[in-house]
Amino acid sequence: MSLTSPLFFAFLAGVILAYHISESVRYRRLVLGFGNAIFIASYLTDYIQILPLLAFLLLGYACVSILSVWKSSLALGLAVLGVLACYVFLKRFSFFDDLGRLPFPYLTIGLSYILFRILHIMVDVHSGDLEERIGPTAFFRYTCNFLCFVSGPIQRYQDFRAADGIAVVKLDAETVFQAFSRVVAGYAKFVIIAAVAEYAFSFLKPQLLQAGDPSFAKLCMLYAATASLYTVYLYYNFSGYMDIVLGSGFLLGQALPENFDKPFSARSFLEFWQRWHMTLSQWFKFYLFNPLVMLLMSCFPAPALTAYLGVFAFFITFLVMGVWHGTTAVFVVYGLLMGAGASINKLWQVACADRLGKKRYRTMTETLGYVYFARGVTISYFVLALTCLWTPELSDFTRLIGRLGPAGMSAAFAGIALAFGLFWWLADQIAPHLTAPAFLANARDSLVGRNLTLASQMMVIVAVTALLHKSPDFVYKAF
Amino acid sequence: MRYILRQIAVTFTSFAFLYVLIGGLSFLVFPDPSHGGLRDFQVAERTLFMTVPKYVLLGRSVLDTPDPKVLIVGASNTAVGFIQKLIQSKLACGKVSNLAMGGANISEAAQIIDLVRETQSSPGAAPNTFVIGVWYGMFADSDIRFADPDRNRGESDLDIEKYRYGFYRRTANGPVAVLPSKWLDAGVMAIRPLLLVEKVAREARTGINLLLTGRRSAQRTEVEREAAVMSEQDKKKALEYWQESMGFKGAISETQFNLLRSTVASLLDSGERVVLVDLPIPSWHRDASPYQPGYEQKLQELSGQFKERSNFISISMSDLDGDLDYSDEVHAKRHLANVWSERLASVLSSFACQEKTNKPKVSSRAPEQATAASSDH
Repeated sequence: MSLTSPLFFAFLAGVILAYHISESVRYRRLVLGFGNAIFIASYLTDYIQILPLLAFLLLGYACVSILSVWKSSLALGLAVLGVLACYVFLKRFSFFDDLGRLPFPYLTIGLSYILFRILHIMVDVHSGDLEERIGPTAFFRYTCNFLCFVSGPIQRYQDFRAADGIAVVKLDAETVFQAFSRVVAGYAKFVIIAAVAEYAFSFLKPQLLQAGDPSFAKLCMLYAATASLYTVYLYYNFSGYMDIVLGSGFLLGQALPENFDKPFSARSFLEFWQRWHMTLSQWFKFYLFNPLVMLLMSCFPAPALTAYLGVFAFFITFLVMGVWHGTTAVFVVYGLLMGAGASINKLWQVACADRLGKKRYRTMTETLGYVYFARGVTISYFVLALTCLWTPELSDFTRLIGRLGPAGMSAAFAGIALAFGLFWWLADQIAPHLTAPAFLANARDSLVGRNLTLASQMMVIVAVTALLHKSPDFVYKAF
Repeated sequence: MRYILRQIAVTFTSFAFLYVLIGGLSFLVFPDPSHGGLRDFQVAERTLFMTVPKYVLLGRSVLDTPDPKVLIVGASNTAVGFIQKLIQSKLACGKVSNLAMGGANISEAAQIIDLVRETQSSPGAAPNTFVIGVWYGMFADSDIRFADPDRNRGESDLDIEKYRYGFYRRTANGPVAVLPSKWLDAGVMAIRPLLLVEKVAREARTGINLLLTGRRSAQRTEVEREAAVMSEQDKKKALEYWQESMGFKGAISETQFNLLRSTVASLLDSGERVVLVDLPIPSWHRDASPYQPGYEQKLQELSGQFKERSNFISISMSDLDGDLDYSDEVHAKRHLANVWSERLASVLSSFACQEKTNKPKVSSRAPEQATAASSDH
């Protein structure tokens, strides 16, 4: 069910209205359960396509049930291995082609996020953070929540359970308006900004990848523009999707976790990942980085090594997070770039703090020049690393990098960093002066004014959808 | 629940108010384009429909009248070469419309013909005279011709317009009408606000172009086209472009030729008149293209197949091949377009204007005007 299809609107409206008919928790859980089942069924053309997903869920539930009675580390290790092996097999990673494949097409959408949720429950059940005995229907509602099914956000089971059939968000006129506004803003990002960026990207990409002999300057500019457009597309596509999900969640009384917090204003790569796909970053922090650091520190207890162990743990964490994004070899490169970015960033922090002292280092990071330089460099690194996502074949990727060479990559990196740094500087200078006169602000904020504003956004969304004529798809669906 | 229902009601009321407001505004700015609109589809830019494909699809009800009509279809060289006003001025017996579309292949030309016939429901209407302008560049399969990244492979400009507003739905066998053609005007009425918003967006883009480049669009003006002379490098690039546009196959598409054959046969069988025009290209292009010999042979076969039919005629204008009379590898300059148009008008007046024609079945060149254009011969 595409998010931009009339079917999705009808489905969403049906679930929201059915949910609010009664305040009975059992009834509401039933509505959500049916909603999840219908949503997943909309992706199927044959019942057999659901069987692998069902098997994966059953395996996950069996593991969770066993761990809730047998809380040994061995059981956890075996359960994690079993679930990961099943995931790798179903996800058809190209590195594991020898494992064979199921001889029929099946549903893989949402599999990654179900994995995260299952691993989270297993670890928390084992550690005792989650003591509640989880029933099969609650497990299904949690792992397959239709709002978060395709691409998160990754909610903790404890937070999900607190709102499972219970409206934790109190709905009044203001909350409902804010929820509608959030959904419409999401569509505006998704259908207007992301779709226009994708439109431009899809014109530039073939020009960049096709054989030809453009001048060095043209090649660098073309690459920088293509990579930047893809980043704009990815961000607005994903964050727009999240706005739609979170706004819809409010209408179902759910307060789902935020996934983005102005990532392009980050001043370092590590800060960037605290602002971008936040629930994924937090998941990796809790379930990979922290245990890894603990393990390393227990193996190498010397205090002088602590910071460097952190660097190594960052590298491993971001490497795994990068590899998770895709099933082909180029995503290993992406993981290495992510790992390198995080560990270099950490090394820089450690080195600066050692050399300047923590106070002077903090003062330095607050200077105007450093702020915009750091923003530009951070974004530029991320933009270039994302090349792996739009050249999923390693041969295309290496050919492109080969054509650019170190000089071309450096020029593109510098150009993007400069452009983003300047953009942010200009935006920060102009933004404070962009205030509407009082009478306009009052008119805009009145009941009629704000609803007309909402309606005009909807009008533009409909017009742009018609203008661009191809329904945009959700890019993270593929990951 | 009541807050949600109230917000739904307020949002939809606001949206409906805005929609009706913009729709009303569209009537002030562009009064009823479907019936009071221009018959020259080539000036679509001046209408609410903005582009020829949109005008043909949404504004075609202007053709639903009982008068005799001459309907010109083809690609951009037909659009440029047959000047509607000029032909109309020389033809008293019917109303002329130029429905040619840039980049069209035979499939798209056939789609135009189907759309026109689908919309014509006037009882006792006079038969149409379809002028089909062809050249080798139109015989490329749709999968090759329509393969831009912003469209689904093989979907023509007309297909895109069909899906754009939900008037048709996409199926494995191509577009299927959701809106019956008799409801076309009502459908167009319903989407007028969207058309106006789109028009404003296009005008804004034109304004930005004007601001940045001093030009309204990248297209050359008539004066620039008239002065254009192709260099050897331009010619080489043009040949490469057409190799690519034809799919590097080295031969024209058999499927497209068969489609032209069946389209002509269907028109003739239903009593319509058909004028098949073999459009000229500059001699350097004709002589250098690997597609031209095969095209000429097949077109001759096709013309021969229908030559006995009294409602069919084919015209060849291959003598109008002066290199300097073309602004590029296919498009006639204005002075040559005048000759093309006069020659077509002359043929039409002896073919389309007669109740029963005793005409020559194949006219290789038309009367006196033939030599006037060839400036480098």
